Amino acid sequence: MTGPALEEEILQVTEVLLTASPEPLTQGRFNQSLQRDDVSLDEVAAVLMRRFEDQQRPVQIVAVAGGYQLVTRAEYEPYLKRLFHRAGKLGLTRAALETMAVVAYRQPVTRSEIEQVRGVNSDSVLRSLLEKELVAIKGRDEGVGRPLLYGTTQGFLQAFGLRTLGDMPKLKEISEIMGADETPTAVSHAAE
Amino acid sequence: MAYRVHLENFEGPLDLLLYFIQRDQIDIYDIPIAHITAEYLSYLELMESLNLSVAGEFILLAATLMHIKARMLLPRAEPLEDEPIEDPRQELVRQLIEYQRFKEASEEFARLAENRRAHFPVGRTIDVEADGMGPGDYLQDVSLFQLVAVFKEVIDRMPSTAPLQISAEPIKLDDRIRIIQQAFGVANRITFLKVLQGVGQIQEVVVTFLAILELMRRGVIVVRQSAPFAEIYLQKTESDQ
Repeated sequence: MTGPALEEEILQVTEVLLTASPEPLTQGRFNQSLQRDDVSLDEVAAVLMRRFEDQQRPVQIVAVAGGYQLVTRAEYEPYLKRLFHRAGKLGLTRAALETMAVVAYRQPVTRSEIEQVRGVNSDSVLRSLLEKELVAIKGRDEGVGRPLLYGTTQGFLQAFGLRTLGDMPKLKEISEIMGADETPTAVSHAAE
Repeated sequence: MAYRVHLENFEGPLDLLLYFIQRDQIDIYDIPIAHITAEYLSYLELMESLNLSVAGEFILLAATLMHIKARMLLPRAEPLEDEPIEDPRQELVRQLIEYQRFKEASEEFARLAENRRAHFPVGRTIDVEADGMGPGDYLQDVSLFQLVAVFKEVIDRMPSTAPLQISAEPIKLDDRIRIIQQAFGVANRITFLKVLQGVGQIQEVVVTFLAILELMRRGVIVVRQSAPFAEIYLQKTESDQ
């Protein structure tokens, strides 16, 4: 968007939309509400984010799952937790998190590819991820038996607070992993 | 000193191996296979002695370890100058490292989810009544899986009706027809009451009645009555004589 400072009205409307939307507000929904498509939600959100920051509001705007969402600040979690049991709490086991990670980084991925990495049967854990709508069936592989291909969902991005898949933490390189725990052997080799 | 084994919850055989490697500060590129195989097997034994079922994957890796161990014991031909020496442990190491990468990523994911959950979403407006929503909009994010889940829910909610029992018909229509025809004997006509003689059950009565109707339909018999409330006769038709 070009032009001067954003109209105050648009900022107000955006704040209202964010306040009312349970799902992240996307540019599409934003346009639908404004009945115009020449306002960049990214820009409006950036201005609002700064404003919320300056005003020390107890809520903040986060970029998640391809949109923006108004959420409470993390420091108020203790107060909220005492009143609200988190409905839809993730409750992912280690096995589920491992499987989630393999799906996220390797998608689209078949069940047997997941099992190759994890070294264990991942059928039931995959099913629970499907039920939680963190993983979805994305199609079928062309290979033998045309196995199902799995990938992540919008719900995954939301649950892990990611704006896009590109926001995922990078998978560590092998060298990093090997040097992580103990004194790096590479250094001592170099010294010899 | 008593030998103590940590009974942690391992996600699988690779996880267990990594645990030994980290605990004993083993160089992953130079795994002492004999040592690690012994550790691994004693752990499986412990699990079995505790009556914990050992998943097939654990057994598979045990076999893999022993296979590697055997290959390491076999003498190797002198490698040529430039030929890389293939280490029997290579594939296992690759697998372990790959698993470790995703294991660490999953820990990162747990932190992300934890951070995310510290924020409570503010918006609560349900958008079903929003203007300009076509029916197609509602379907945007519905996966097949969700549809199936909803379908199952609907089915579950349906009142369960007692299944209708249909038992096999004990009296066959054809049998009854034959019995009626036999009842005629050489006579040309018999009374309706005679046909029903010895017929006890209501079902038999019904079937007998159906048999009479069937015989009438086929034109084998006609039913005659001289006056109201008088005796009813079944009479063979001319053609059947």
